[in-house]
Formats: sequence, structure tokens, C-alpha cells
Amino acid sequence: MHAKLIALHDTATSIGAATSSGSRETLVDVVAAAKSLNVDPSTAVSIKFLEWWWMRWWCRVGSGGRLDFNLKKLKKMSNEFESELGEFEQEKNSATASVLKRILLNCSAQAKQYGSCVAARVPEVERDMCLKEFLLLKNCMWNLHREQENVDMSGKASSSNHHGLNVSGALSHVYIQYPPLRCTLSGTRSFLYDDGNKLLLQLTSDRIFSWKTAPYDPNVVPSSDPLCEGPVLCIRYSLDLKLLAIQRSNYEVQIWNKQTGDTFSQKCRSESESILGFFWTDCPTCDIVFVKTSGLDFYSYNPELKSLHLVETKKLNVSWYIYTHESRLVLLASGMQSKSCTGYQLSSAGIIRLPRFEMTMAKSEANSKPILSAEDVHIITVYGRIYCLQFDRVAMLLHSYRFYRDAVVQQGSLPIYSNRIAVSVIDNILLVHQVDAKVVIIYDMFAESRTPISAPLPLLLRGFSRASESEELSDAEIIIYGDDWSFLVPDLICDVANGFLWKIHLDLEAISASSSDTPSILEFLQRRKLEANKAKQLCLAIARTVILERRSLAMVARAIDVLMTTYSQAVKAGSYQKRTDTEETSPSGVSNLNSPNIVVDESSGIDASGVQQEPARGIENESSNRFTQSTSGSDGSVSFESKKMTSHNLDSSSGITEGGYMVEPEASGAQVDSSVVQSQILVAGNKALNANASEQQESQVSSAAISPADLYRFVFAAIEEEMLGDASYLISIIVEFVRSASFEKLKVDPNTYVFMVQLLARDERYEELGLFVINKIIEPSKEVALQLLESGRQNIQTRKLGLDMLRELSLHHDYVLLLVQDGYYLEALRYARKNKVNTVQPSLFLEAAHASNDSQHLAAVLRFFCDFIPGFKNTADHHAYCRIVADMNSSIAT
Amino acid sequence: MGLSSGSNASEAVKLCVFDLRRGQNEGQELDKILFFYPADLPFSTQLSVTGLSEGLITFTRIFSPEAACDVIEAEMHSHVFYEAEPDIWMVMVVEKNKDSEAIWRIDALRRVLKEVHSLFVMFHGSVRTLVDKEPTGGFVRRHLYYFVMDYLSDFFIGKKLQLPNFRDSLKERGTVQMLTMGREAAIDVQSLVRVLESCAGNSKCYSLTMFQDLLVSTTLSPDDTVNLYTYAVLRLTPQALSSGVSSWSYLRKGSTACNTSAGAVMANSCPSVDQYYNSGDTSPVGNHSYHVVRPLQHDKWSRGKDGFLVTDIWGAEFGSSIPTSPTISLKHIEERMYLCAYQLNSLTVILLIPVSSVLDGVQGIATVKQQILENASLKMFKVEEKLLRGWGGENAYHVGGYRYLLVDSDRYISRASPPGKVTTLTKDSLIALSKLREEVDSEKIRANSDGLGHEKDLEVCIRAKNNAWLIARLTRGKELYMVLEKANETLLYASDAVEKFSDRYCNGAFSLE
Repeated sequence: MHAKLIALHDTATSIGAATSSGSRETLVDVVAAAKSLNVDPSTAVSIKFLEWWWMRWWCRVGSGGRLDFNLKKLKKMSNEFESELGEFEQEKNSATASVLKRILLNCSAQAKQYGSCVAARVPEVERDMCLKEFLLLKNCMWNLHREQENVDMSGKASSSNHHGLNVSGALSHVYIQYPPLRCTLSGTRSFLYDDGNKLLLQLTSDRIFSWKTAPYDPNVVPSSDPLCEGPVLCIRYSLDLKLLAIQRSNYEVQIWNKQTGDTFSQKCRSESESILGFFWTDCPTCDIVFVKTSGLDFYSYNPELKSLHLVETKKLNVSWYIYTHESRLVLLASGMQSKSCTGYQLSSAGIIRLPRFEMTMAKSEANSKPILSAEDVHIITVYGRIYCLQFDRVAMLLHSYRFYRDAVVQQGSLPIYSNRIAVSVIDNILLVHQVDAKVVIIYDMFAESRTPISAPLPLLLRGFSRASESEELSDAEIIIYGDDWSFLVPDLICDVANGFLWKIHLDLEAISASSSDTPSILEFLQRRKLEANKAKQLCLAIARTVILERRSLAMVARAIDVLMTTYSQAVKAGSYQKRTDTEETSPSGVSNLNSPNIVVDESSGIDASGVQQEPARGIENESSNRFTQSTSGSDGSVSFESKKMTSHNLDSSSGITEGGYMVEPEASGAQVDSSVVQSQILVAGNKALNANASEQQESQVSSAAISPADLYRFVFAAIEEEMLGDASYLISIIVEFVRSASFEKLKVDPNTYVFMVQLLARDERYEELGLFVINKIIEPSKEVALQLLESGRQNIQTRKLGLDMLRELSLHHDYVLLLVQDGYYLEALRYARKNKVNTVQPSLFLEAAHASNDSQHLAAVLRFFCDFIPGFKNTADHHAYCRIVADMNSSIAT
Repeated sequence: MGLSSGSNASEAVKLCVFDLRRGQNEGQELDKILFFYPADLPFSTQLSVTGLSEGLITFTRIFSPEAACDVIEAEMHSHVFYEAEPDIWMVMVVEKNKDSEAIWRIDALRRVLKEVHSLFVMFHGSVRTLVDKEPTGGFVRRHLYYFVMDYLSDFFIGKKLQLPNFRDSLKERGTVQMLTMGREAAIDVQSLVRVLESCAGNSKCYSLTMFQDLLVSTTLSPDDTVNLYTYAVLRLTPQALSSGVSSWSYLRKGSTACNTSAGAVMANSCPSVDQYYNSGDTSPVGNHSYHVVRPLQHDKWSRGKDGFLVTDIWGAEFGSSIPTSPTISLKHIEERMYLCAYQLNSLTVILLIPVSSVLDGVQGIATVKQQILENASLKMFKVEEKLLRGWGGENAYHVGGYRYLLVDSDRYISRASPPGKVTTLTKDSLIALSKLREEVDSEKIRANSDGLGHEKDLEVCIRAKNNAWLIARLTRGKELYMVLEKANETLLYASDAVEKFSDRYCNGAFSLE
């Protein structure tokens, strides 16, 4: 029963995920199917409900084209849904009522509300239709299910099917991996996060424990320092970890030198101001910044005097502030509504003041003036750009602002479906956690598009096997989106109640599986840096699939274009190469000291100076552990782009300069992609070489970019057998590939051309093959020439093409040899003499001349060698063939 | 031999098609004749031509059953023979009069016969099947008559039938001229071709792409390519559609003459065709009931609003005004193909779709056309633009100082100095070249009949009376003919010139020394 349930659920969700599925069963069908499968009908109906929800979602998300799909069916379904619910209410007392049925029954009120709301509005499907009803229903189901599960699970053997509302739980695009990093010390449960050093800090009465969170390793051992008694508001280690600053009160910050043990305090100068917080900075002019209600104080640390020296003060009324170390940006809120913001970026390049800007806030009533609070504003860093996200609780929108050096520009808004939200960034992907709805929506801000990458799905816990871990971790402990969760920048979740630290992961596979728009999903995958190899493999798999599915030529061509364009960009930026990462695996504590570079140069030079200064941060040994990957993929290269410069073409200029593409200075330029080099070396046996090199490469790729050689090896060659029946389609694809590569000025691997020749010859399309060769679409190479000769066994014209190619490549030896083999020994001799080829055995010419049974020719060949090869007259060949010529002449004479 | 009865200049040429299997009995000899030009010659004259030809064929078959007879050189005439199909012979008789223009190269004439027959087969199927279709021969006669007359109309200059003579020595009939393009353009063309051929669903389509009168790409076999290319140059390309524009192609003369001659065909068509029916045993009933398709008729193609070329040559379907789509048959493929041509400025794209794959005729073709417009029009636009940018114009393939003809006999591709440049050669040079080619032709035939399967390499360098160098080089299926006037007198100079040309323009194919 359980297995069947899962199976049914899978089909339902997959139907839901496939937006194009035209034939949806009605609820009646589902119930009938469920009955025949001996599955509880209510299960099926609730599954159907979810599917229905899916549909609703897609109707809403999609633009014009999707809106009108199946509207009638939707309406019909919603009506049926209600009647089904009625039936179930009658069966309320049935002894066989299952978990899901119970859910459905208990939430029937909400379900009905929602259903009727949708039914009432169905012809005009619109954004956020019946959202409130939906969320109510969903919450009801969720809570009930969780309760039920907790009761049930004690008696049941484990299965993969037990987190959250499982109907949707199995499908997820974002997950946290079990086990978490456990910070469960006895005693206190107070956690602090030092984002400058990426340390999770926990305080006990006399010690401070710190867990390194980058690279993320669940088994990391905490280090500890003694701590003096007293209140602690905030703690941050200096960026070199030598100093510890503790905010003791609103007026005092204490600084302790770990090495010397010295302690001193810095206090506010007057009672009229108070310290809101502080942070360490790697700005050259100062070391620590205090944020006070009256403004910013920049201090530098003086080791000799054991004191802070005030460098500069910025006067400003501050109601609250936010700071993230990865952006080096501090945002100061002021004004009645706290919505007027001023930003400072304190980078290695100095202090940049950003223009003041106002956040947008909708008013609930005419006279009300909502006050913006700090937790509703988030600074995020994606693709090296800095955004500020502001949650407008009245409008239920998440506004985004992008920071340029000289401007702050509002970029658009994202819809919000929850009263509590959280924001994470993984691998330049923005995750908006709709905490109340217990789903997460993911956005890729790259293309300035405000469309989610995929439908909202819950966060999933993976790798947790209840049976084995039950003694350590009870059910109650892991509550997805529990109240005790706090979200740390950029991609960590701290479960304060349990002392767990989770790292959020993206499931690229699931994301790519849920999208039908192949070119855009490829673009998405190509931008991934964190799991570059996985993204690359996924791209290759997608490429194989679209070809095997015989998708339209235009679509496949666009997909190939995407891959070639990103590869070309990666090569230009130098990020496509093997990692020589032995010297780069420095401890993250040290690497964090490196400064991010803020580019000040206004005219150009963003990428240039970026490359020069790019530190080795963020380069962790990716192959050691899949889940201990860098959390700081791009944070070292945050840059403000000059608005003036980028305004004419924001996307393209940023695409090149963005942090992810930058590389170590010693690597750029000097190293070239190994496969590109190989493709230029015309070694017959380079297939094997290539394979080895690529395997090494795979474990170390830093970019998802796919070289033309890889595309050939892992896509075209890999699917050759399956495509045997339809070579012409495959040829068309390869033509598109060659076009795309040529457009990007990329070199195509000779093996690809050899493959083309084979395909065309196998189909006996020699005329096209000829055109391909004559027009140099198939670029000349020895491999191709040899393949033409091979394929030319059945077609003399093709063989000639091969011979001509050898001649044009100046492969004199092979050319002469083949001429002789074909019986053109006189031509071969002439050619050999002209091009001074002396590596072909005279005996071959003589044999060929003998075979032609022409004594004159044989004599001529013999004479040739006598004249041109010193000492030939003394060889055995000479004697033997002299006799033969004599014999032939005498036989003619007689 | 008394064949040239008329003093009319047009009668200096006679062309006949006859079937040796017909009219075996005495008194029925006329039945053999399937076509005769000029049609108004008395039967006795016609019979004497066919009778002499048949006699020679029968006689020479005794010695050479496979290839009976190529040519008879009489004092006043040359008889050019071509066995188009087993026992279907085409004979052309040309007069060697004192008219200085009447200097022929036999192979060039035979290629005319070959061309008209190939085109006929492409549109109507083999002559033999048509003969078998109706025992009286009326069916095949009617088809041959219209077809050959329409074909010959292209050779009329004024009232005179001007067959290719020595002035066409630097031309090779039965070959295609290709556009040379850069790799990028070539890739784009191939990409376009793939898209086009995928427009008709899963069935295997073929295509031919042309820019002006030059071939850009083909997926057909070489001989089919030649046929379709020839037809396209004659009737479909932009130059052919806008008659009056002169062409540099050997296939078309100035087309002012076409109309008058086409009119001439119309005027005397019916009696001339009917005369054979009456001479036959049975008269076909309702011999006008069938519509004779005349693919070579002039001014019948035009470019439609959607860019597709339309014609009413193939008639219209019953009860509809939409013209029937043309169909042709290819040599190596059993099935007949719909011919669907699209034109965008200088770009002409011909798509061949198997008849069986299009279920409901007109409607099906319309769907394919719609697909082409949707999927390929942007690509075609880009390709046309790119080719136009890379094209060097009419004289693109002129090489200063050289007058040349380059033939790839494997692929039926040729390239030659532009006609405008060839006319600058003196008559003497051209006549000498014609003779040289005649020699080379016979040498090739000899090598073929030796049947070694070994391509003969040949090199001839002649200093003509007018001090021009005449050069012919054959190597491994490629031929190069060249005239160098105003050249230095040493042989070394001539051979150096060839070498340079070969390295520069032929990838060194002719530079063996």
C-alpha cells in the first residue's frame, strides 16, 4: 500500500511538474484509479489537489501562453473536487481512514474555501489568486500531517517518505544534508555568528566556542577562548583572528588581544548616543567600525598603545543598520519610517559612500506609516553584484535594489506568500524562503528576470535515516522552517533550539529535471560554480537527451549555442582550465584575510584589476568532499560597477566582469585549455591522451563550461549507436554545432570531423561529404584525411578528397605512399622528386610498375632511382628488377 | 548524301530521335521516328537520315556491340550519335559549310543531346516507358516534340539554330558552376539546408541551393544535380525569370530570341505532331484529351507573393485554381518528387519532397511551404545577405592573363573565365583550342575503352600559329584547358604559368612537376 501510494504520488507530481501535459485526469478518474489500485481514494484526491495546486501555480507564473491552458478543465476539476470532498465527509467514520484522508477531512473547511474561491474565479486566472485560502489550507494539511506522522512513525519501518508533507516532500529543489554540524554544548544555547570569519560562536559562562563554517564540515572541532564574565551583546573576531571584540553594553566595546592577553575598552563619548553594533573591516584606513545612533566611527587599532584610534566619523542619525562582510557594505537606516538608507562600502580600495535612497513601502491605510525594520532588509551578493532586498509587508512584495557605484536602482519586485521570509544565496542563486508556507522559491538574478527558476517546493532534509539515528535525534527535533531557525549569510541555517547548523544545498538535478525550456536551463546550469562538475555533467546529459528525443533542430541549435557561448566566454576569461590547486588550498581563516577588491576605476578596467587582485579565497578542495564546498564562491570579487559605464548594456558588461569568471593571475593567459591544445596536435592516437586528460579535468573543473571536444566525446559519440537509424538528424545537429563553434571562433576537435565523415559515408551521402570537405566545413587534418581514404573504399571521389587533403596538408610521405598504392607510381615519382620525399621504399614503386606490366614504365622507374639515389645500382632491388625488365623485353621480342 | 535539301540556314542542323525496336517491317520505317527536326522536312528526307544512321549502327555493332557508333564525319556533314536509352538513339546532323562559324566539337554537340534527354527523363520518365505506354507512339511523340522544341528554342538566334561551336571551347555543358564561399557562409548554408530538409517531417527530402546562376549546395547525386541545376538556370533563377537580362551562363544566350522561336513552335506544332499518327496503323482516339506538360516553356514561372515560384505548366487540380505542384523524377530514387522552389533576391532554394510523403497534394505542399516560411526564412535571409557580401560579381572568377576552363569530371563541376573575357580571344586561338579539345576528347574515349579503370594523366602544351599557348592538362579526373595569348614564347614560361594557376586556384592539383 505504501509503495503504491508513493508511486501514485510520483506520477501525480510528475504530471504536475510537466506543464505541457495536456491530458489531465479529473478527480473522478483519479479516485477510480486509486480504487482499482487498492489505494485509499482520499490519498489520491489529496495528491490530485496538490497537482491542481501545481497547475494553478503554473497558470500564475507563466506568461500569456500558459494562462489559457486547460482553463475549462480546471474549472471542472475544482467543482468535482468539492463534490468529492462531500463524499468523504459522509465517510468520516470509516475505519480505514488513512493519514491523508484525515488530513483532508480535517482541513475540508479550508479546502472547500479554497476550492470555491478558485472555482469562482477560474476563467480569470491571475496572480496570487486565492492565495490566503491556499496558504491556510496548506498549513492545515501540513500541521496535521506532521502530528499524525509523529504518532505513526513509532510503529512503522522507515522509508524515504517522512518529512513535512510528503506528498510534495519527495520533490524538492533545495535541501539540507544530514548530518548537521552539531553545536550542542551543555549549558547555554546562545549562538552568535561572526560572518567576517564565518564562525559560529557559542557562549558558555566562561568560554567562547567557535565553529568554522567555511568550508562546511559537519565534523569540525570547535576551538575555544576564555571569556570574561559579563553581558555579551555581540562578538566578532578581527579578520586575522588575533583580536576579539565584545560588545558589553550599548556604550562599551571590549577588545581582547589573544596573543598578549591585554584587554581594553572603548566607550561612547557621550550618553546621548549608543552603540548599535560594530564590525571589523579590511579597509586600509581603519580596522574596526562602530555603528552608533549618531553615525559611524572608524577606528584603527594601535597595538603599541593598546587602544583604538579614531580615524574618521560620519555623522548620521541611525535607527538600525545591517552589514554583511561578503558585500563589505553597511546600510544605515534613518528617518521616521526608517526607510531612508545610506550605504558605505568599506573595502580594500577604501571607503565608498553610496547615494542615499528611499525604500518603497506600500501603505495599508491612508494615514498609517509602517516602519521598516532591520529584519525586513537583506543584503545579498550574486554574480559579484550587490543587491538589497526589502520585504514590504503590506504589499507582500520583496523589492530589490541594485547598488552601483554612483547609483542605487530599483530592479523590480518578487511576490511573497508568507508573513515570515528569509533569504539565502547559494552559488549566486537567490532563495526566498516563504517560512510560513514552508516552501522556498528560487531565482536567478543573472538575467534581471523576475521569474522563478522553478515552482515553489519545500526544503527537504536528505540523508537522514530514522532507524539508525533515532537514539540521537528524535522526530521532534527536525522541524523544517521551525520557529527556532535563523538564517545566516549566505547559505546557512542555524537551528538554535537543537544547536544544529545546516548548510543549504541546491539540487541542480531536480531543478533541471523540472524545466522544459532546455536552452534556459542550460544557461542556468552553465552559470553554476559551486558544483561545476555536476552542472557540467547535467548539461551533457541534457544535451544527449534532447538529441535522443529528436527535439526540433532550432531548439537543439539554441541549446548548443548556449553551451558554446559560455565556453567561449569562459576561455576568454580564463576560468576554463584545470585547477592546479595544491598551493591554493590554504586554510580559510587565512584566505579570509585577503581583501576583496572594489573596483574604483570608472572608465573601464573592471575585469582587469579584478583579475589582478583576485585572492585565492573561495578555492577549496572541491573534490575532497561534496558537501564541504566553498561558501564564498564569489564573495571576494564584489564590485560596484559604474552606472555610467554599464548603463548602455548592463548585462553584457557584467557578464564578463563578474566575480565567478575571474581567476588567479598566474593562471590567466599562460594556461590554455588542455583539450584545445590537444586538438591542435595532430596525433593519430590522441583519443587516448584526450581521455586521460579529461578524466583528470573532471575531478577538478571549476567551471561548468563544456569544450567542443567534450561535447563531441560525451554527447555525439556517446549517442552514436542510438542514433544509427537517423544519422541525418545527427548530422544536422553536428552542422549546427560546427556553426555555433565557428561563430564563437572555437576550434572543433578533429575527431568530430572524423565522426561526420563516418556518418555521411555510412549513409552513402558522398556528395554532401564532398561539399563539406571542399567548402572546408570539415577542416583538413590528417585524421580526417585518413578517414576519407578509409570511407573512400566504396567511393573513389571520396578517396580522392582524402588524397588531396594529404597533399594540401603537405603530408608528402603519406601522399606518395598512397599514390603508389593506387598504382599512380609515375605521378608519385614526379611528386616525390619535386617535394624531395625520400622516405618511401624504391621497391614499392618498382613493384607497382611491375604490376602494371609495362616494361617501359618499369625501366623508367628503375632509371629514375639509378639517377637519383646514390648507390641504388648496388642494391638487390636494382639487380632483381634489371633482370625482370630484361625478361619482359625479351618476351616482347619473341 | 543529299540530306541538306534546303538552303535555309536553320536546316543546316537536323536532330532526330528514333527507336530501333519499332517499325521492323518494311513500309513501317516511319514508325521508328519519334522526333525529327526540322519537322517540316519531307518524310523521305527524314527516312534517309534515320535509315543511314540505323545502318551505321547495325554495322558498327558487329565490331563493338557495347558502344556502337559515336560519329560519322562526312565531307559535308557530321553525324553525332548518342544512344540515350537501349535502342533509343538520338542523332544530330550538322553541316560543315564554308560558313566560318560552323566548326564543331563533336563532344560538345553530343552533350547537347545528352542534356535534352536527361532533362526529358527528369520530367517525363524514360522515353522507353513512354513508348510502351501507347503503341502508336503518339504519346511519346507529342511529349518529345514539345519538349525538344522548347529546349531548342534556347539555341535560336534570330531564325537560326546556333549550336555550341568553337566559340564555346572554354565551356563545358553538363556541369555545374559553383559559388566559392567562405567557411562561415558555407556552414550557414549547410545549416539552412538541414532546416529546409527537416521541414517536410520525417521523409527524406533533397535540396539544391543556388545563388544567382551558381550552385551553392546540393544533397542530390551529381547527375541529378546537373539536371536540376540546368533546369533552374534555364527557367527558375532570378535571371531566367526576368528574361531580358543577359546571363553569363553557357546555358542561356540572350533571351530575346526565345520568344519568337517559342512562337514558331506553337505555330506549327499540331500538324507536325499529327503527321506520324496518320502514318501509323491506328489513329489514337482523342489524341488531344491529355494535357502535355511543357516544363521548358518560356515565361511560365513567376515568383509568388510568398516568395515561392509558381507555374501553371503542370495544370491545376480539378475544380481548383491552385496550380498543381510540379513533380520530377530522379535518377537514383524510384519515387517521384515534388519540386518546391523558393526565391529570395538572388537566392533560389529548391526542395524536393517525395510524393508519397505528402498525403493530400496541394494541401500537403502548402503545409510544407508554411513550415519553410516559419523555420527557414530568417536563415535564408541571412544566408543571402552573407553570400551577397562575399560575392565578387560576374567577373569574380576571372584570372588576369588567363583564359581557362577547369572541369572536375567526378563531380560534374566546372569553372571558366567569364564569357565576356573569353570573347577577347582571337578566333584562331579558339579554333585551335577547339581542335585541341577534340583530340583530348578522343584520347579520353580511348583511355575509357581500354577499361583499365585508371585515369589517364595527360599534358599538352601547344604553340599555336598566332603564338598563343594552348594548354590541356588532365590529372586524376580533373581537367584544365587554358589559352595564353600575349605570352612569352618559351615553354618554360607556359608551364610556369600553369603551375602558378594550379597552386593558386586548384590547391595544387595540377602541379606535379
